Amino acid sequence: MKKLDNTLIIGIGNNTRQDDGLGWSFIDLLENNGFNTEHLLCKYQLMVEDAELISNYKNVIFVDACKSELNNGFSIEPILASEQVTFSTHEVPPNQILHLCESVYNKKPKATLIKIQGYNWDFEICLSKQATKNLKKTFSLFKNKWDVI
Amino acid sequence: MKPKKITIDPVTRVEGHGKVTIKLNDKGKVENAYLHVVEFRGFEKFIQGHPYWEVPIIVQRLCGICPVSHHLAAAKAIDQLVGVDPEDLTSTATKLRKLLHYGQVFQSHALHFFYLASPDLLFGIDAPAEKRNIVAVASENKELAKKGILMRKFGQEIINALAGKKIHGSLAVPGGVHKTFTNEERNYFLDGKQIPNIDTMISWAKEVIDFMKSYHIENNDWVDNFASYPSNHLGLVDRNTGALELYDGRLRSIDFEGNELLNIEDIDYRNNFKEAVEPWSYMKFPYMTKYGREKGWNRVGPLARLNTCSHINTPFAEKERQIFKAQTNNKPNNMTMHTHWARLIELLHCAENIKELLLDEEIMGTDLVRKGTPRKKGIGVIEAPRGTLIHEYHIDDKGLITKCNLIVSTTHNNEALNKGVRTVAQSLLNDKLEITEPMLNQIEMAIRAYDPCLSCATHALGEMPLIVQLEDNQGNLIHEKTR
Repeated sequence: MKKLDNTLIIGIGNNTRQDDGLGWSFIDLLENNGFNTEHLLCKYQLMVEDAELISNYKNVIFVDACKSELNNGFSIEPILASEQVTFSTHEVPPNQILHLCESVYNKKPKATLIKIQGYNWDFEICLSKQATKNLKKTFSLFKNKWDVI
Repeated sequence: MKPKKITIDPVTRVEGHGKVTIKLNDKGKVENAYLHVVEFRGFEKFIQGHPYWEVPIIVQRLCGICPVSHHLAAAKAIDQLVGVDPEDLTSTATKLRKLLHYGQVFQSHALHFFYLASPDLLFGIDAPAEKRNIVAVASENKELAKKGILMRKFGQEIINALAGKKIHGSLAVPGGVHKTFTNEERNYFLDGKQIPNIDTMISWAKEVIDFMKSYHIENNDWVDNFASYPSNHLGLVDRNTGALELYDGRLRSIDFEGNELLNIEDIDYRNNFKEAVEPWSYMKFPYMTKYGREKGWNRVGPLARLNTCSHINTPFAEKERQIFKAQTNNKPNNMTMHTHWARLIELLHCAENIKELLLDEEIMGTDLVRKGTPRKKGIGVIEAPRGTLIHEYHIDDKGLITKCNLIVSTTHNNEALNKGVRTVAQSLLNDKLEITEPMLNQIEMAIRAYDPCLSCATHALGEMPLIVQLEDNQGNLIHEKTR
């Protein structure tokens, strides 16, 4: 069992909408590769109360599908807190959750956003071929770089 | 002066927003106001052909905020399809369903007050839109924000423990429930080791009611008069005592003075209600048949429930109800902004009920499912956080759904929402051709008081994206304001 102490990984998306399930599929890969499930989470969307959740960790990694074109089909980048406020409870971005975490709990977990490019978004539980390739590439790099994230 | 039209239209359409049109007459006075609901979901149609046992799982996808309410309303209807009425469910199944329901209402009410309504109350009508959001509340009122987050979390954890997931889980099966509660699960909510316990939730619910009462004393003119208008009120009440009831009871309606208009078995709704349609909205307008379209509509939700019930059967909430009722000398309360106050009394009521159920050994029972003589029709009525929710299903000989009718809480409130917008518009917009930010804020607040699910338009954390246009009757743009 590979430990993920002090690191929370959140896959965001909806696996019934084809490539929107990339975040969840990434979590599945972690589980299948022996990472302990205690600190792995699949969510449809981030909510305000996730500020409390991430305040308990030193590192938090958000994994989400991305519609825009990305070099190599994915990106792994650090993100910072932002005061940006979105309109709907259904669309709360990670940097807003980080800001709430800082404001309310005085905690600043080191945060990383993994974006994986998707292509198809219809009602189906099935990743597209290209999205699956992007997922594998992302996971491969993630495993190699795990110690430095 | 030519007749003019003001349109408040969301710029973006994230999962369906409402749109407001305010029509002025030729003298520049507000003639009418319409809240258009332009989303269409079609659940009543596409559920047809599915086996009945799938229904409680599928229909909860109607909403991400109160899926449990749809799950349980559907489950109550599906129980009847397998020949089981609410009183015939096992005691354990009924108590577990109620625990799930109270957890749902608790988390939804906490979400609405702390995340959505508190910025309006804390920063006021005239505050800039960019300040009226949960992030600003968190920055300036850390303790309030912390409590809000943890109260919402507590309700979500109750749902998670019973339904397996915080959103779109499953507890109910035809004729009962599929799991019981364990001692370990129960202690999680009682011992306070991992999350603040249920006694803390009760204490915090009392605190936030005290906050609301103080706020009312300081702002009573605005709170009492803003978007206030007389209406009928509808809600479930206990069959025997008339007490506030959220899970199963009789449907009772009163008029704005307290005269009883309706007191029927919930499953008789079909004989007592009709739904009107208007060409400018996908949302229907339910009304009581014998009082007609104009006089037969009701408000539903926390304010209506506190108006229709005789009392509350938990002590702390009952004490607060009496204080609340004293504001109107025990007459029905028609003050729209008091809905926020009523919602908090229900928050306390749910916390008290959750505690009572957690301490009840029967929630760990193993007698979970009943069966009866199958029927072809089932009707489930429940009080969702936003008001009375009705599900009706018919099946064929193979158990496939042939007909479905849903009247959701926000649909009951359709006329009330329009009336609220019209009331605000009439008080603010007459003789003014310039649209101001506070005007938009107040229209938004009148809508938000009902916590409507349009579906997401007013589950807003921040400012609602709006464009306001003032047009003459030829469609010429006179003034426009966007945010």
